[in-house]
Amino acid sequence: MRVLLAEDEKELSRVLCAAMQSKGYEVIPVYNGVEAVKKAEDEIFDAMLFDVMMPVMTGIEAVQEIRAAGNQTYIIMLTAMSEVDDKVTGLDAGADDYVTKPFSLKELLARLRSLERRNEKYTEDTLDFGDITLKNTEQRLESYNSISLSVEETKLLNILILNSQKKLDNKALIEHTWGKNEKIDTEMLWIYISYLRQKLQSVNAHVGICGNKGGPYQLINNSEEDPK
Amino acid sequence: MFSLCIKGIKLVTEGLNNMEIYGAYGNYLPEIKDEIMHKIDELSQKVEKQDGEKLYEHLIGRIKYEDSMIEKCQRKGLDLTPKSALNDCKDAIGIRIVCNFIDDIYKLVGFLKIQDWCVVVKEKDYVSKSKPNGYRSYHLIIKVSCPYPDINGRIPGNYYAEIQLRTIAMDSWASLEHELKYKHNIKNPEQIGNELKRCADQLASCDVQMQTIRQVIHEYD
Repeated sequence: MRVLLAEDEKELSRVLCAAMQSKGYEVIPVYNGVEAVKKAEDEIFDAMLFDVMMPVMTGIEAVQEIRAAGNQTYIIMLTAMSEVDDKVTGLDAGADDYVTKPFSLKELLARLRSLERRNEKYTEDTLDFGDITLKNTEQRLESYNSISLSVEETKLLNILILNSQKKLDNKALIEHTWGKNEKIDTEMLWIYISYLRQKLQSVNAHVGICGNKGGPYQLINNSEEDPK
Repeated sequence: MFSLCIKGIKLVTEGLNNMEIYGAYGNYLPEIKDEIMHKIDELSQKVEKQDGEKLYEHLIGRIKYEDSMIEKCQRKGLDLTPKSALNDCKDAIGIRIVCNFIDDIYKLVGFLKIQDWCVVVKEKDYVSKSKPNGYRSYHLIIKVSCPYPDINGRIPGNYYAEIQLRTIAMDSWASLEHELKYKHNIKNPEQIGNELKRCADQLASCDVQMQTIRQVIHEYD
């Protein structure tokens, strides 16, 4: 992981750099909010650690500017204040997490490990279920034949596979596939369920989606034994 | 360069006109091909009257050029005789039916199997199980009886024809793939092969999507 560290206290910055570098992270230190915004504009990072109280521009202002520019990088605030309001201000400005000073290095490193896990392990690219394989980034469904999927079909099948032991209702499926803001109704979901059913059939999969129009839906494995 | 061009033109004209490998039977082949196409057209019109939906988008037929047939016989280790070209190879007459929807392919195959004017002797479903390169089509070999003598001296004679059924999307893919494969000196064949396969899967996706939309519309009826 590549980490941008914005911390004006030189001594603390040096300690944090050394600790993160010892865990194999690449750390780029800057010492005020303006420098942080500039670096975030010019380079790519996997995480950013921002102190709140910094000269020239505060960490909060830096986060606001970075988010306004469309940057979605994970940001952890390092705040000296343990006041609830400060945590809220930081999070509302666009930060993803915070640690309050004085914090233990152990805790900060654990948060970075947690982030790595979320980015890498929990977003598995290939999912198997019964005799089908879903390749998420390729948006491809494979069994005895292969076929491409749209972004929405990929998301929908992904949720169905990950929750195959549950019956999933319209609301859950729509929110996980299209998000909250889209104007997608149960009629539209039914069409996408139909696409997936036909595609499962066209790759000769022994996997189907049970459920009538209106839901709930559930992925089922119809093969007697797993041939793969 | 000049002589090469002349040679190329000569090969093309030979391919078009020369049908010696089929012997005396070469003259019957276009007639038989036209008759099969006529029968399929009749069948389609009958079905269209009943269901109100076209069975296929279009229909084409060809007699395999002599140079292709020679190449095929040599590849299969067959003698260059009319018997090899008409009996061992069964695609001297080729018919291609291009359908609108995947379902129509299976519907047509079902109809062809129960026609009294032909017998399906072999079938290969590359639609539900595509070839590794991504090729999709349904292949049938049919046997037809016709008023002409055949290679075994029978009258009426028996002739074979290959029928390929595919959707418009499958047809586009096959013709573009053919074009790309033979016309260029490809430097990274594996990557290009993967891309063509991906393209085939995307077209298959569109086919399935179109068919699903048709079914969803029918659900409203």
